[in-house]
Amino acid sequence: MIEFTVNGERRELAETSPSMPLLWVLREHLKLTGTKFGCGMGLCGACTVHLDGVAVRSCQLPVAAVAGHAITTIEGLSPTEQHPLQLAWVAEDVPQCGYCQSGQIMSAAALLNTGAAVTDDSIRNAMSGNLCRCGTYGRINKAIKRAANAPKEA
Amino acid sequence: MSLDQIELSRRVFLKQAATVTGGLAVAFYLPPGMTATDPKAPAPAAEFEPNAWVRILPDGTVKLVVHKHDSGTGTQTALAACVAEELDVNPMTVQVITPENPFFDTYIHPVWKVFSTGGSTSVSLEYDRLRMAGATARALLMTAAAKQWKVSPDSCTTEEGRVVHVASKRHLAYGELVSVAAHLPAPAKVTLKDPAQFKYIGKLRHKRDAAAKVCGRFKYSIDVVLPQMLVAVIQRAPVIGATVLSVDSNAALQVPGVRKVIRVPGRPDVLGGNVEGVAVLADNYWAAHQGRDQLQVQWSESALSGFDSDQLAGAQAAAIEDKQAQRVTAMAAGDVGAQWATAAKVLEADYRMPYKVQNPLEPICITAQVKDNAITYWGGVQVPSSALEAAQAVCKISQDHVTINELVSGGSFGAREAKYWLFEVAYLAQQAKVPVKLMNSREDEMRALFMHPATLHRAKGALDAQGRLSALQLQAVSPASPEQWEPGYFERPDKMDYSTTEAITAWDFAYRPANLDLVWVKHESNVPSGWYRSVSFIPNVFAVESFMDEMAHAAGQDPLAFRLAHMQDRPRHVAVLKSAAERAGWGQPLPPGTALGIATHQGYTSFIAVVAQVSKKDGVTTVDKLTCVVDCGLAVSPGGVEEQLYGGLMWGLGHALFDRLDIKQGRVVQSNFHDYRVTRMSDMPAVDILVVDGEPGKPGGVGELGSPSVAPAIANALFNLTGVRQRSTPLTLG
Repeated sequence: MIEFTVNGERRELAETSPSMPLLWVLREHLKLTGTKFGCGMGLCGACTVHLDGVAVRSCQLPVAAVAGHAITTIEGLSPTEQHPLQLAWVAEDVPQCGYCQSGQIMSAAALLNTGAAVTDDSIRNAMSGNLCRCGTYGRINKAIKRAANAPKEA
Repeated sequence: MSLDQIELSRRVFLKQAATVTGGLAVAFYLPPGMTATDPKAPAPAAEFEPNAWVRILPDGTVKLVVHKHDSGTGTQTALAACVAEELDVNPMTVQVITPENPFFDTYIHPVWKVFSTGGSTSVSLEYDRLRMAGATARALLMTAAAKQWKVSPDSCTTEEGRVVHVASKRHLAYGELVSVAAHLPAPAKVTLKDPAQFKYIGKLRHKRDAAAKVCGRFKYSIDVVLPQMLVAVIQRAPVIGATVLSVDSNAALQVPGVRKVIRVPGRPDVLGGNVEGVAVLADNYWAAHQGRDQLQVQWSESALSGFDSDQLAGAQAAAIEDKQAQRVTAMAAGDVGAQWATAAKVLEADYRMPYKVQNPLEPICITAQVKDNAITYWGGVQVPSSALEAAQAVCKISQDHVTINELVSGGSFGAREAKYWLFEVAYLAQQAKVPVKLMNSREDEMRALFMHPATLHRAKGALDAQGRLSALQLQAVSPASPEQWEPGYFERPDKMDYSTTEAITAWDFAYRPANLDLVWVKHESNVPSGWYRSVSFIPNVFAVESFMDEMAHAAGQDPLAFRLAHMQDRPRHVAVLKSAAERAGWGQPLPPGTALGIATHQGYTSFIAVVAQVSKKDGVTTVDKLTCVVDCGLAVSPGGVEEQLYGGLMWGLGHALFDRLDIKQGRVVQSNFHDYRVTRMSDMPAVDILVVDGEPGKPGGVGELGSPSVAPAIANALFNLTGVRQRSTPLTLG
């Protein structure tokens, strides 16, 4: 039995192999499909979620490793889907195909969580593990700055 | 039969009427042997459907049909806007749907004559008729309202989903006019809006679906789940043409969740068909993936087992000398051969580019079910004709029994124009008798072997005593790109492969020396090639724009001035070239250790120029900035055009610095993003994009416009920085 919380909800997994990556537990067992599969080696960032508020690649994380921890996925980022990053992403019209954007937003949210200054350098450092093949990097940069300067979510 | 089912069956029989209205009017035809009074005859819907793109329901719902695949390029928004603009509804708030019957004649690609999306043609080729579709619907709605009000239709106008009679201050919503409008004959004449009145075209800054995409709610092919569905992964032949000698599936079948192991026959008889493989079907992806790891498959050798991509350039060089090689002239003028002896200076150079792979971030994924002699697909199907071909070839299912539940793809860049996966899933769904979701891993994407071909270009040029380019010869050695697509194309009278000679034909090639000989030398390595964003523009522009730079330096001239001096009657092209140079500070003093390089091309009836700025500081060379000026005629969705260009520049940077796939002993060497590098945010230089209005009435293509000039611009800048000319990619920054 593996216990952890996902988006604030307690989950117990009885029959899941402890070595199964968290990504597939989220997608196929818990039906949280907002987290995406891109490479399976932690190289593209499409599977990024938060482990106790820190960005991790769920495709590389055996589910056993998250026992007792709190996982946040894109679905749990904001109860109203109005997280400043989500609003900024829409305002800057960031997504093209959109497939990488859950992971991009979770990496950006982890950056904002640190409270560090949002600069071109800190954005590049936080975001360069997330691949986008369509070419949204420029707008991601703008959206993160927009969100960092937005009033906090009510 | 439910109403939805009646609706669906009716649409399956929807056929275009042969009318003089340019394919806009539609009529319904009934199945053979059925009359309109037959109780089983599909009932007409209580809706207004004046053509293949507009549907209005009595409750006021407006549905716009977009028949092109959206792989993230914003086609759904841009095409919906073309209809919506003329219909006078908001393209961001009305429903946009994909056709239930993607094989409706009207939806066929006007040039390629197949049901497909690609070639940066969706907006440029559909613009006029989609506007016409919206305008026709609007005219009928105004006529319907005028009838009710007993006024002249000319005295009516529309505003945002309703017809208005200003003089009497009356209005009727479109939904209220459905029953009358549905019975009106097609209007004899339809007037399009004056572009000065456009509310959406030329003004769009947002795309549909952004809100769903930032919350994880948007559904992609990988998110499809159906009852009893099994997830399949395939261990494919490691070398093209290899066949299965033996399979031991015992260990695979021991993996919890694994249900079946199925051998998938290869289809070498089909152009672009799948290679042989062994599929593992399981309850979920992870089990299928683990099961595949446990498969013991012995493969035969094949004719390509000895293929080594490092040896290809040698074979391609030999093809240039080979008298038997198929040579196709793309452009010719004068007599280049007569110039070499008399020229003041002659220069010769070879340019090479390696194999490259598309790598959309969503790996190929498609779900299919075969049931009751019908097939249903769920997923991003960019080429419905290929889904149909798979149904026919694999399952013997006819067009009337093929349904596609179309989804937006997580990128394509040509990968989703391949068809091997449609053949595989059709076979698996037929064998498994339950819905099958076929998923590629990243490693599968890297090794799909429908990649962008490696090329060799040999350029030769002559300068006269005045430093003018008197002769230019280019021999572009490449396989035929559409071999898998257009069987028999080589029988055409001009033997031209337009997909391989991009940028070197009369309409795209900018320079006009008196003597010109641009030739495509067909050389097949037998490694299948696939479609790839910007296709042959990439190597052709790299060679032409690098060589023009070399010639300019050989002539002791400024590369910008040298280019301009050899362009004739190309005012729009000249304008973007001058504009990009000016924006980038061409000819102005630069900081120490900094250099610029320029390149330009035309394609998809659009023009682009790129200036790259590079510098060397503390021994590290970097690409600091890309300046790009584009004239794409009318930018229907300016926000969309800019992001397509940014993406194209990013791809071009990848071609310049990273993209390279190696094949050794017939096997792809790279496997994932650790050894096949793609552009990350940290790699991106500053980007300055300007889109100018060239021809306001006519949109050009932009999806594939951005990348080809980038690699030569960077190579030219690096030459200016270091004095060393690099002629093969990926370039070395040093």
